[in-house]
Amino acid sequence: MSVLAIHPGAAYHIESLEGPRYAGYFDRLVRPEDLATVDLATFDVVFVPCRTPADRMIEHKERLRAYLDQGGTIIATGETACEAFLPGIRFTPQPTNWWWWLEPGADLGVRIASPGHSLFSHIGEGDITWHLHGWFDPPDGVEVLAVNGEGRPILYIDEVTTGGRMVITSLDPMFHHGSHFMPATTRFLDGFLPWMRETLDKGASA
Amino acid sequence: MTVLMIQSHYQAPFTMGGALFSRHIEAGTVCPVREMALTEAHFATATGLITSTHLDQIGFQRFHGAVKALLDRGGRWILNGHILRPILPELSVFQPIAMPKRADFEQIRLYDHPVFAGLDQKALETNRGVAGFYGRGHNPPPEGARVINALGAARTPVDWVWARPQGGEVLCHAGNEFWACGDDAALKQELADRAVAWVNGELN
Repeated sequence: MSVLAIHPGAAYHIESLEGPRYAGYFDRLVRPEDLATVDLATFDVVFVPCRTPADRMIEHKERLRAYLDQGGTIIATGETACEAFLPGIRFTPQPTNWWWWLEPGADLGVRIASPGHSLFSHIGEGDITWHLHGWFDPPDGVEVLAVNGEGRPILYIDEVTTGGRMVITSLDPMFHHGSHFMPATTRFLDGFLPWMRETLDKGASA
Repeated sequence: MTVLMIQSHYQAPFTMGGALFSRHIEAGTVCPVREMALTEAHFATATGLITSTHLDQIGFQRFHGAVKALLDRGGRWILNGHILRPILPELSVFQPIAMPKRADFEQIRLYDHPVFAGLDQKALETNRGVAGFYGRGHNPPPEGARVINALGAARTPVDWVWARPQGGEVLCHAGNEFWACGDDAALKQELADRAVAWVNGELN
């Protein structure tokens, strides 16, 4: 038992977390309301999927902090308002430009900031490029993996704020994959979830 | 009498529906309730129900009896989104269009239901020229349902209305809220206004 995923229950969560494509990457699913019944310390990774309503996570803020401080890893993907329940998050939302790719010579501007990072042996720049919801101002010392067109972080790993690790992104792959929309989001998960297993999940056999 | 609108997604501060429904909320016609604050009493005092693509379909199962009772007494429900956990035995799991092409997103009006009658369905087919936002599959219609709008040559039944034999009606749209599609702000407002009027029994 090593990866615990929060399961808020929307159609796109059910499709992404329970569907055959990715179900094997999650050892246990837990409803936000049941989080207090789980011993988080028995999991290497806690995965918070896109659009998990923050008001259903806020009551677990101290529990999540304690889990991080004992060395746990939390992954939070986009539109979770994770600044409401995780420490050290400073997020600035931006209007979503769904149409960037219609313009001639379009370039959303997303760039890989750490090309040597192990994640990018699984995914490329095209797999982190669909649209943007905002950027972060992370603390000094985090590892920034991807940035927007202005060079601001949209995907980073924070091992300085707590005793554990937070993988934070404003990208929202599960919402779109689970809505059967936007192939880049599926490609992202096709690479990100195996990377999660191989790199973050100490108990994994994958 | 009020329309119960379940707010499933998170916003701080909590609001529901944005500008499209603000007039109805201020008038007391629409009552937005946070999903986790819902009780059976909210259903008992409502004329009907509006749910979004963000509905917690697992948690919503606890209101199976309340939804059934609302419909039994003639209530109406606008159900947006992909059904993955049917709350009524007649509802079925969403079926996506396999490997859809542009032609699969062509929208065809098959029945002039009052929520859509007189409105150009083609205006909902694209956003900024891009198709596929309205719907990408269907929730299989129950026996006796009438298809309102279909997609492509396969006539995928993206929108249907079902007069439930035991009472009540369900208008189902297999996508994000239908009043949020297209590029015409006035059309979006018209659809939102009609949705409220229909659920509230004032549009027939």
